[in-house]
Amino acid sequence: MDHSMEIRLHGRGGQGGVTCAKILAACYAAQGRSVQTFGDYAGERSGAPVRAYTRVSDEPITNRNKVYEPDHLVVLDHHLLGPDVFAGLRPGGSVLVNTPEPLDELASQWSQFTIGVVDATRIARSHKIGTRSVVIVNTTIAGAYARMHDVPLEVLEKVYEKLGFRGNFAAAREAYESVRTHRGSAQPGRVAAPAPAPVLAPVPARKLPEVADLVAHRESPPTPLKTGNWSSLRPNYTEHLAPCNAWCPAGNDVVAFVQSLHGGDAKKGAEILARSTPFPGVCGRVCPAPCMEGCNRAEHDGTVNIRGLERWIADAGLAPYGRETAAAPRRVAIVGSGPAGIAAAFVLGKRGHRVVIYEGEAELGGVLRTGIPTYRLPRAVIDREIGAVLALGVETRLGRFLGKQEIAALPRDHDAVILATGLQKLTQLDVPGAKLPGVEQGIHFLHRVNLEGGMRLSGHVVVLGGGNTAMDCARSALRCGAQRVTVAYRRTRAEMPAIREEVDQAVEESIVLLEQRAPVAFAGTGRVEAVDLAEVEMGPPDQSGRRRPVVTSRTQRLPCDHVLLALGQSADTSLLPAGWELRDGRVSANGAPLPVFAAGDLATGDGTVTHAIGSGRRAADLALQALGLPVAPFARPDRETAVPATDVRFDHFAGRPMAHSLVLPVAERAATFGEADAGLANADEAHRCFSCGHCTRCDTCLVYCPEGIIRREAPGYGVDYTYCKGCGICVEECPRSAMELSDS
Amino acid sequence: MSTEFLSGNHASALAATLAGRANRGGRGFGGGIYPITPQTECVEYLCQQEFERGEIVRVESEHSAMGVCIGMAFAGARTFTASSSNGLAYMTENVFAAALYRLPIVMMAVNRTLGPPWNIWVDHGDTLMLRDSGWLQFYCENNQEVFDTTLLAWRLAEDHRVLLPVMVNQDAFVLSHTMMQIEVPGLEQVERFLPLLRLPHQLTEKPVTFGGLDFPHETEVHRRQHAEAMARVPAVYREVQREFEQHFGRRPADAVDGYRMDDAEVALVAMSTMSSTVRAVVDSARARGQKVGAVRLYMFRPFPEQDLRQALRPCRRVGFLDRDISLGLGGVLWAEGRAMAPAGCLVQNYIVGLGGGDVRPQDVQGILDDLVARQRAEEPRILEVAT
Repeated sequence: MDHSMEIRLHGRGGQGGVTCAKILAACYAAQGRSVQTFGDYAGERSGAPVRAYTRVSDEPITNRNKVYEPDHLVVLDHHLLGPDVFAGLRPGGSVLVNTPEPLDELASQWSQFTIGVVDATRIARSHKIGTRSVVIVNTTIAGAYARMHDVPLEVLEKVYEKLGFRGNFAAAREAYESVRTHRGSAQPGRVAAPAPAPVLAPVPARKLPEVADLVAHRESPPTPLKTGNWSSLRPNYTEHLAPCNAWCPAGNDVVAFVQSLHGGDAKKGAEILARSTPFPGVCGRVCPAPCMEGCNRAEHDGTVNIRGLERWIADAGLAPYGRETAAAPRRVAIVGSGPAGIAAAFVLGKRGHRVVIYEGEAELGGVLRTGIPTYRLPRAVIDREIGAVLALGVETRLGRFLGKQEIAALPRDHDAVILATGLQKLTQLDVPGAKLPGVEQGIHFLHRVNLEGGMRLSGHVVVLGGGNTAMDCARSALRCGAQRVTVAYRRTRAEMPAIREEVDQAVEESIVLLEQRAPVAFAGTGRVEAVDLAEVEMGPPDQSGRRRPVVTSRTQRLPCDHVLLALGQSADTSLLPAGWELRDGRVSANGAPLPVFAAGDLATGDGTVTHAIGSGRRAADLALQALGLPVAPFARPDRETAVPATDVRFDHFAGRPMAHSLVLPVAERAATFGEADAGLANADEAHRCFSCGHCTRCDTCLVYCPEGIIRREAPGYGVDYTYCKGCGICVEECPRSAMELSDS
Repeated sequence: MSTEFLSGNHASALAATLAGRANRGGRGFGGGIYPITPQTECVEYLCQQEFERGEIVRVESEHSAMGVCIGMAFAGARTFTASSSNGLAYMTENVFAAALYRLPIVMMAVNRTLGPPWNIWVDHGDTLMLRDSGWLQFYCENNQEVFDTTLLAWRLAEDHRVLLPVMVNQDAFVLSHTMMQIEVPGLEQVERFLPLLRLPHQLTEKPVTFGGLDFPHETEVHRRQHAEAMARVPAVYREVQREFEQHFGRRPADAVDGYRMDDAEVALVAMSTMSSTVRAVVDSARARGQKVGAVRLYMFRPFPEQDLRQALRPCRRVGFLDRDISLGLGGVLWAEGRAMAPAGCLVQNYIVGLGGGDVRPQDVQGILDDLVARQRAEEPRILEVAT
């Protein structure tokens, strides 16, 4: 008995139908049968309906014709189902369809045939088979075929091994296990074959298509075929979250302000920044720039210098803030004028509310003014940016720190209160000799340097710590006249929380870094004369993921004249009035929430200007919301949803290293408090931005479209869906993941 | 011997790889290659192979591809290339040169319709255009034959009685892209079958010139020598058939491959894969009692005149099925073969399957019916079978 059979596969160009037919043939070949497999080859490309065939026989196969009366069908895309697909299928034949639809519907529609359904697309997608735009289902659906037609799973596995598809076998197995079938009603048999049609009979027995004369045979693209009918997917231009935007704690639209620089005009960028931050000039200088950590260009040839570009925009001039007229202006007190307090005032002021800022120092700015040295952040920058916020009508009360009772009274005179007092509590060092004169908190030192000026130091200054305060102390000490400055840190240089450029510049300025050293004692008679530093070994990682420092008994005495402690700060909640309890950024008393909110480091302890801005914005929004105003509180986007580097087509971008800002030579900068960093020479760095997830009208989609049916159309592009096959090439080629495919 | 599951393209490339490695003790293996649909998979496969001696050189055109083969062959390497259709048209000048230089190059050609208008599917017009180029030509019927013919082509080409290039032809897609199981010998078996190439006019350290100006009396001699070499091919081929069978246990087809011809009053003559369909129709006609046979021309150059004349001897009606057309004449196979039919025989030409039309059994049956029923031969009939 001849067990020959013919299988016809229906798929779309690019789905791998020919390979699927090959897998099926290889399965039968592995069981000792003669096989033959081939595809239909034509001029059509991705997305066009295509067919592939497999013949199986116990005899050597000599038939070289295409398959017209298949025993079995495999349909890789359920949108193809129709009379064309079923044409010629023998009674009692079977149809395996890749579809998310239920079995019953198909089984009742084509009841004479055995029907199998499997959602191979879902399975292949979950196994990440194919490209980001087109899922390749061939190796998956073959598993379902094996189950329907009693091909042992071991045979299938061996075939996958041999053909190099081992990685796809798990998907095939899942399809094998999840295919559902319904037996057909008809008995196996043959199609009633049409009578043989002699091609030379007087009357043409077969209807042949009309063909125009050769000289009349002209076509103009697009083809008259309405190829859009084949489509099951269609491309859309979509904005996806750029990682820089996702990473920015202040909530800046980073990709937009960087892209705005393409025309060389900083004004538009300033307008974009004015929506989210009062401190572009400050952040353009002192921000640790989490956006640059997230930047996808890091995977290509180095992150974009976003901090430098933000400064470039700010230095070219701020955009004026518009002040809305609030229907019912509220009165809000803000305690503390650091970046969080000013950011809250910025949000409330723009919305037309009345703001009073209470600041203990004589000038506004908080840590910006007391903590950050002028060589990093010139005072004119702070003045200009805070001045713009004050211009919104913000009132100030300066020069006196509020006591607990005064704070407790604020809610009586204001609709809401925002506490932004920062990190007032300094980490102390409890070792012998810590009270010796000459051992001082670095914050206190910086406060004096920054507010009083004219500080002089001499001899050898040792700074203990590895954050930005430590670098600020060390470099300020140098500028105050210290002959020698050493920074001792318990971890390694790479693990220092300080901005990398700050560390680099400190080292350039001859500041010595001692890594893996912890202070265990200070020595001196009447005044500190030396510090005992113990060697530190790195233990297993702690909760922060960094390796835990283990202090050894090996010590070394380092003679010195002055010690600055920069060991960290924390929020001082003892400032809160009695009975006030701070939780999740809001204060309550006796369990009842008060209209009092915390912002900045008091609330989060993140310790950066950019985090403080984001926190200040959120606290202002929450306060307004608590007062019954329709406000969607600012929240940082989910970083997980940002465009990953793997979705950026690096080959569209020529390699080009990051542009660095111009830093004055050591000889010119190390002795003065003038600004050390002159910023970027120009805004060309913006051209390095991939614009992840944001269309730049680069025309790549238009150029790559095989049908030529994408056209420029305001505001971006139009797709002629009459002809779009949904092949996904435009989405695949989009350099920046600003497109996606969806079901049509 | 192992069983491999290969397309015609890969079968040919694998045979070339084995033949190439078999010459590593000599001057190695190589060739220039340039891709063209439907041959591309063959040259892709070759580019992935490593050869101890020699290399595959990727060039910018078919003309250069054959140029590289000519140079390598002169240097004594076993050489191979592959092309198709318009690529062959572009290569043509050097195709002639390779033969006139008497170089034993093997070329696999995938038969594809010449354009424009553009067409990527099978017909034989491209290689038949080169029938006067001085190359040997074989037309294969299945994947195994593609492999076997590629191997034996070198044995034939490198024989000092022949010293001519060989073209191994296969139908576009029907063979080139169709996978089937084939038997593949090991390298040692191939080495025993294919001795190292010893080219008599191989280049040495002493500079020489080939192909300089030939005066009329020299050309007369050179053409006669070329023609005599061609005339020796059928006999040498029969030796190669025997050798091949001894080494691999399979006997390659005869130059003229007859089927149920002993008492056939009616014969259908064809080449390549269409012959399989013709044989199926012959079987069903025989089952109805008709004395019908099939003839396949496996070797087309040199034209196996004697063998075809012998095969057609019992016939009273012969139909030539051409998958080609010499415009202004008719089918090439018919034009060359009609004189081999016995005196008084009705010979009709059917041109069928141009541009890749799928010639099905009912189409061939229609031809047979027409041939049996007609009173006299007419001009060649151009049939339309594609749907």
